[in-house]
Amino acid sequence: MRARFLTVKKSTTRSLQSDKLACRIARAKMAEEREITLRRFDLSDLDDYMVWASDDRVTAFCRWDSYTDKEDLRRYMRETVLPHPWFRAICLGGRPIGALSVDLGVGCDRCKGELGYVLATAHWGRGYATAAVKMAVRSVFQEVEGLERVEALVDVDNKGSQRVLEKAGFVREGVLRKSMVSKGRTRDLVMFSFISTDASVDGLID
Amino acid sequence: MDQHKGVGAKEEEDREEKKTVPEITLRPFTLSDVDDFMTWATDDRVMRFSRRPTCTTKDECLTHMKDLIMPHPWCRAICIDDDGRPVGLVSVMPAPGADVHRASIGFAIAYDYWGHGIATAAVKKAASAVFEEWPFLERLDAIAEVNNTASRRVLEKAGFQREAVLRSYLALRGGKQGHGHV
Repeated sequence: MRARFLTVKKSTTRSLQSDKLACRIARAKMAEEREITLRRFDLSDLDDYMVWASDDRVTAFCRWDSYTDKEDLRRYMRETVLPHPWFRAICLGGRPIGALSVDLGVGCDRCKGELGYVLATAHWGRGYATAAVKMAVRSVFQEVEGLERVEALVDVDNKGSQRVLEKAGFVREGVLRKSMVSKGRTRDLVMFSFISTDASVDGLID
Repeated sequence: MDQHKGVGAKEEEDREEKKTVPEITLRPFTLSDVDDFMTWATDDRVMRFSRRPTCTTKDECLTHMKDLIMPHPWCRAICIDDDGRPVGLVSVMPAPGADVHRASIGFAIAYDYWGHGIATAAVKKAASAVFEEWPFLERLDAIAEVNNTASRRVLEKAGFQREAVLRSYLALRGGKQGHGHV
């Protein structure tokens, strides 16, 4: 009898500890998300934008080359970023540390949007990109009528970005061989997708 | 691709090979092909999984031919008889923008001519032709709706490798969501 009582007590303690741990993890995750916000860009964000747009480590897997001239970047912001239907600054404490966009399709492609994102290297490894992607997916499905699929194409060698999408709940669908030419080389891309009906870990989608 | 097939599948394959595959030729369309074009372009059984709308009248077919077929970068009539009348269509569209190394293939065969290996032969011939004509081409891909088992089989037999199922990839006719497969 006593032995049984001790056994029960042990497992209760264990479950309490794991509950506490789960709470701590959940709180940390929420804090992460609270720290990260998405908002539209403004031309006044130019200097912050230049930080990652001029960094070769950031642009390594992008089709575009790092910016060297601030005026070129200002023109890009004015002509592409500001008028874009879905382009957001990834902000930490209100200041941009990266960018995220969803290119929406038309006609037969109206059910899908293509996600892209970049983050300044100083902020890598803290789950900020994952948090931003989760928030973006939640928002874009709510805001865009008829959108059912958000997809992302990631270079096979870009393991960091693949991890971001996996943690954000995307499904890896396959490798599209030689599907992109970037910086003079043909690249294999991994296709990821998040369908509006996919259940996510945090139950993001209502 | 063939590694996982059992003995039974191999026998069936041999039987398929022994079926006479017709000699097909590919040639550019002319507007005078409109009557033959109508045979498949107005047929829902053929156009069901297509991104193109089904035409209903001869005028619509003529407009479609003038606007899309004639100026197309690479579109061919599939002919099987000596009189050279088309029984279908195969087209290859280069990818947009900077991706000159990539193109997409599409095809349609008149319903009465299904089941004779015509589409497979046409796709193989078209693939050889474009890889030769466009030396910068490295990848030819195709998207078929997951339920379009006939077209998927054509692509497999023509030597295409299945890469992925892209969920909710296209909005096809009637608002239904197609699942593509490259």
